[in-house]
Amino acid sequence: MEVNGQLALTVLMGVFLIAVAAWLARVEDWRSYTPLAGGGTVGGTAEQYVSEEKPSGVIRWLTTVDHKDIGMLYGAYALVAFAVGGLMVVLMRIELADPSMTLISNTFYNSLLTSHGITMLFLFGTPIIAAFSNYFIPLLIGADDMAFPRINAIAFWLLPPAALLIWAGFFPIPDVIPAQTAWTMYTPLSAGVGSGNQMNAGVDLMLLGLHLSGVSATMGAINFIATIFTERNEKVSWANLDIFSWTILTQSGLILFAFPLLGSAIVMLLLDRNFGTMFFSVDGGAILWQHLFWFFGHPEVYILVLPPMGIVSLVLPRFAGRRLFGFKFVVYSTLAIGVLSFGVWAHHMFATGIDPRLRASFMAVSLAIAIPSAVKTFNWITTMWNGKIRLTTPMLFCIGFVSNFIIGGVTGVFLASIPVDLVLHDTYYVVGHFHYIVMGAIAFAGFAGLYYWFPIYTGRMYQVTLGKWHFWLSMVGTNLTFFAMILLGYGGMPRRYATYLPQFATLHQVATVGALILLVGQIIFVWNFVQSWLEGREVQDGDPWDLADDDLVTAEWTWFERKLETAVTDGGEDETELATDGGQTVDDADAESADDA
Amino acid sequence: MDEAPGLSDQYRTASPWPVFIALGIPISELGLLFGLFPLAVGGLLLFGGSVVGILKESGYVTSTIRAVTALAVIFLAFGAGLAFTDIALVTRGYAVIAAAILLAVGGIVFELFVREQRQTF
Repeated sequence: MEVNGQLALTVLMGVFLIAVAAWLARVEDWRSYTPLAGGGTVGGTAEQYVSEEKPSGVIRWLTTVDHKDIGMLYGAYALVAFAVGGLMVVLMRIELADPSMTLISNTFYNSLLTSHGITMLFLFGTPIIAAFSNYFIPLLIGADDMAFPRINAIAFWLLPPAALLIWAGFFPIPDVIPAQTAWTMYTPLSAGVGSGNQMNAGVDLMLLGLHLSGVSATMGAINFIATIFTERNEKVSWANLDIFSWTILTQSGLILFAFPLLGSAIVMLLLDRNFGTMFFSVDGGAILWQHLFWFFGHPEVYILVLPPMGIVSLVLPRFAGRRLFGFKFVVYSTLAIGVLSFGVWAHHMFATGIDPRLRASFMAVSLAIAIPSAVKTFNWITTMWNGKIRLTTPMLFCIGFVSNFIIGGVTGVFLASIPVDLVLHDTYYVVGHFHYIVMGAIAFAGFAGLYYWFPIYTGRMYQVTLGKWHFWLSMVGTNLTFFAMILLGYGGMPRRYATYLPQFATLHQVATVGALILLVGQIIFVWNFVQSWLEGREVQDGDPWDLADDDLVTAEWTWFERKLETAVTDGGEDETELATDGGQTVDDADAESADDA
Repeated sequence: MDEAPGLSDQYRTASPWPVFIALGIPISELGLLFGLFPLAVGGLLLFGGSVVGILKESGYVTSTIRAVTALAVIFLAFGAGLAFTDIALVTRGYAVIAAAILLAVGGIVFELFVREQRQTF
């Protein structure tokens, strides 16, 4: 039986490799004939000729190294992951509408809880940021592409296998169950110790997937640092580098120091689980995991929030009719947050019994991070102050971001204080606090970006009314869900449980209603996004937001304008039908009356 | 910047290799972690071959055979480390060694026969 299995695997692997080789031999042919097809090389090399061309169909998307295409792939991937993670939590919230175990089993709840966290942070959060940065950083800094276009493609293509591995436990594979370790993967539970079921291969697969997503993020970060340092147009100096590029540069620096550590810790955990090492099973092993994990985990928070802050800093002034107030200080605060973020990790561990002197120093640094965060918040508010505000959908999401960020941030300041944390630790207060940031702020900025740049990447305009519905349902849903959680936390409701005492029922039901409102909002978003992409009004003007009126046009819109002007020749999809006689188009009524005559 | 053109100034906007590098890594990891010999060998072959392909395509190496050999030597060292030291993960070590040998053989075959044919076009 064992030999048969190995044999089958060998045959499968062999066939797969031969198929790959055959496909490569075919695809690589485009290179062998191009120099001939290109003819002479007057006025340019054959390579330049090739660089203008892309294969068609699916092969284009599988082989692309163009930063814009890769940005689109990241975006599509992130939105699919957002839908998966979102539907997981809808199931959990419905289960929580009632104190006892009703709809799903407690173990399945734990599985969903684990996957929801990892999916949203690593498969939605990081990739949606990469979508914007891949598409727009080269445009904003006037580069031809990323510094390493192929590494860019590798970084993206590592993500689909990562997702499959992370979700592997949910697929009908015999003897594999989903991980139930929560996203923090605390040992000894995640090391498979004890009588639980976490020694299962599903946990190993999840760890491998997470490791892959970390490798992907690191490759992307190296690429962005190299790009922003070396590929800038000569007109783009450090002094006039845009705010989004600054945040991506800082974020990439954080990734460079944080993600390899996560990767190493995961490898250590895998070795503990499979090869009998004892990194986390000796005395102090559990606290070692927490130190390693949070040394990555807290910078991860800023890895996820800095670029969205950059999007807000870029988009919000466009609809306030003014330049960003205190630009320099917004940049300084970004850098300050980047540096401070590595000195706060142990505030996740105040309740573990670590040395009180250590705790105090981490409390001080954690409280200090409120200062640069507040600098940003005040600068956004001051930018809007007395500005010419236009409440477009992206602007609404930016204002929503600021509003939710204030609530998420202020609740965080309380958590940074040791005595308060010891009371609220491991309660729904913490869950409410960080969801105000990840959903209320990060996802909102993501939506702001998606709506703001919709004309650039689709060539069309979204439906305005649906966009407003999406915003208001998201805003109300977010605040209903997560404010209820903050109150639940004050009441002492512990986090991560599938069941609870009846006294918490009302607030849990409020949170569930909020989550369902969020679901409706996101369904409207998907509808609007897909339908507008396919059938929306085509954008004719390179400046659909009228940014030129206030002298606020940025480089990517200039690029878009140029693209529209030069795109005429490859036309094809022009919707206005020309009459064959070269005259004006006639509508149906006129045509009918002409026929009658 | 225009004055200092980097590698990206002249590149094709399509490459077949990244997908396979990205597939090779998880397949070989799965094979090595769970001790699945065929997956480990196949994944490493896919990864190694694609790495050489992408290096050749982007002009970082000029000779396929030398790149393949270098990679095979690295694999060989890693495999020997797994199999013959105190780590004693014998099956996994042999899987990496097998991948190294197959990769080297593949490189030689490509050098002797395939590349030759291409040039005749």
